[in-house]
Amino acid sequence: MAESPLNAIVTVPAVAEITEIKDEIEEVRTFYFSFDHPELERSFRARSGQFIMCTVFGAGEFAVSLPFSPENDRRHLSVRRVGKVTDGLHALRPGDKIGIRGPFGNGFPFDAIKGRNMVVIAGGIGLIPLRSTLVHALQHRADFGRIILLYGARSSRDLMYLSQIEDWRKTEGFEAFLTIDRAEPGWAGEVGFVHTLIEKAKVPVENTVAFVCGPPIMFNANIKELTGRGLKDEFIFSTLERHMKCGIGKCQHCAIGRTLVCTDGPVYTYKQLKTLGEQI
Amino acid sequence: MHILPKSGLPRLVEALGEQHELYGPILHEVSGDALFEKLADPAALRLDAPIPYIPPKAAVFPHFEEILHYAYDRDSKKVDIARTDLVRPKALIGVRSCDLTGLACLDRFYLGQEFVDEVYRDHRRRTFIVANTCLGPFPQCFCVCTDSGPYAVEGYDLNLTDLGDHYLVESGSEKGAALAARLGLAPAGADAAGRRDAAVNASIASFDPAARENKAWISRAVNRLTTGFVKNETWEYIGHQCFECGACSYVCPTCSCFNIEDVTPAEGPTGRIRTWDSCSFEGYSRMAGEHNPRRPIEDRRNKRFFCKLSYSQSKKYLRPGCVGCGRCARVCPGDIGLPNVVQYIRRETTGR
Ligand code: SF4
Ligand code: SF4
Repeated sequence: MAESPLNAIVTVPAVAEITEIKDEIEEVRTFYFSFDHPELERSFRARSGQFIMCTVFGAGEFAVSLPFSPENDRRHLSVRRVGKVTDGLHALRPGDKIGIRGPFGNGFPFDAIKGRNMVVIAGGIGLIPLRSTLVHALQHRADFGRIILLYGARSSRDLMYLSQIEDWRKTEGFEAFLTIDRAEPGWAGEVGFVHTLIEKAKVPVENTVAFVCGPPIMFNANIKELTGRGLKDEFIFSTLERHMKCGIGKCQHCAIGRTLVCTDGPVYTYKQLKTLGEQI
Repeated sequence: MHILPKSGLPRLVEALGEQHELYGPILHEVSGDALFEKLADPAALRLDAPIPYIPPKAAVFPHFEEILHYAYDRDSKKVDIARTDLVRPKALIGVRSCDLTGLACLDRFYLGQEFVDEVYRDHRRRTFIVANTCLGPFPQCFCVCTDSGPYAVEGYDLNLTDLGDHYLVESGSEKGAALAARLGLAPAGADAAGRRDAAVNASIASFDPAARENKAWISRAVNRLTTGFVKNETWEYIGHQCFECGACSYVCPTCSCFNIEDVTPAEGPTGRIRTWDSCSFEGYSRMAGEHNPRRPIEDRRNKRFFCKLSYSQSKKYLRPGCVGCGRCARVCPGDIGLPNVVQYIRRETTGR
């Protein structure tokens, strides 16, 4: 009988150590990790946009999109506390162990979008699964036209990865526009919803791809703005989160329309999402 | 092809029992219900028992199963983690054609896609299957409409067809042929295939005409459902009939959804437990943080029928996902078993 062909950890999680923990925003922490097995630590490869199943020993397992890029980027997870398992993760300290299965899912189609302008539009923690698109684009600066980040959150305290965004600004030609819903003393960025930045940033439509991720209202407003300006549905990408138990297309918990987020996604074009006929 | 006198059946069972746990149909001593179970007593095996309440899938995809266990000691930071391998070789004796086709669907789904389900694979690697031709339908059956019975053409190690005082034995694998040889079964005569075909044809002819008439409608339902032509009102009606009990999924030979939970007992390692799940349950697609993308019951309910009848799902099974066993129709308190759903889709177009 068949074997799984890919170089993925399918059934028994590999043990990894949390090497460092960083508080990002309220309820969100970043966990840097390395695999206990030296050979795996060397050989583990994930494509940008894939996800893993993370075991918190004693609490359970959850699916989480990978924020890191395969090249020259530290392995980490950025996770919000939302329930029993993620509570368990947040209770861990450096030196503690977690389990990892994967990587699973399709990933971002960088080869297909070479030479284009890249616009990354994120709301709140929606920047986590899109982080690797920026890292990749900045590492391969010559493969892209304009690289634009439009990022918004309720308040300045809800913006992720702020110091990294400042670092990225040092790359020539990287444009970042940040916004918060309501004005705050000392805030130098924009005020208003993220989709209003599309106009302010003069986002081009020609030869452009957009990556959009965030809460449903924010997502829909941005889609409306982008498509209204003439960006085609197939050039808008998003990545979905779903309740998952297996990650390998068997438990079927993540079925959306006729697809499974774990094996057909988690990255979809807006064109695909429209045909799935379910609430995103 | 070989001949097994009926008096020789215990020898076959005994030979299988040497290296396998034995599973097969029995009649419950109090209720009289047909069950497909581990045989405590091989003599209790009843090949003539009606179609069992729960399909034999339960032997290879158990209702409740620990797939791995671990212990993490936070002080020493030591993790012990390992697969739980309790899978012993099993012989499933007396599997009817619909259920055998159901196993074929599960095989293609669990083993034939991008990833292999290693837990299921370990069960199936160690399974010996003795199929059993149905000489006549039970009231719920419509396998003739779904191309899955009453006679199995593949997927078994041995197949038995009752021809009066003996069984016609056909082998479908090397394992099966080896066992037939070991038992020294007599070769069947030249007329055996003809007599088998006569028995199978008589069986098909005795199906309810309504079941046979439904045949065309199943393929038309596949078409309408795949192309999105089933009206929303129809799904809403079907959705509102559903009690969300999950019984249909539990009895269906091709339903394969599962849940996974890590369970820590008072003492000893944590077990990762996999259990059957049903798309009808409200918590099925709920995510941490309470966002439930597939909330209304009609959404969850039509998921089941997409799974059984849509073309996209059929591609995974290499056939429709319904094998015509009729179990869901028998158990559903809301009267929306698959045959009825096909009826509703039909009424939409014909008005009757
Ligand atoms: S859908 Fe109903 S009739 Fe069809 S295989 Fe499943 S339980 Fe049997
Ligand atoms: S058996 Fe009927 S009522 Fe129960 S979940 Fe299935 S469709 Fe709904």
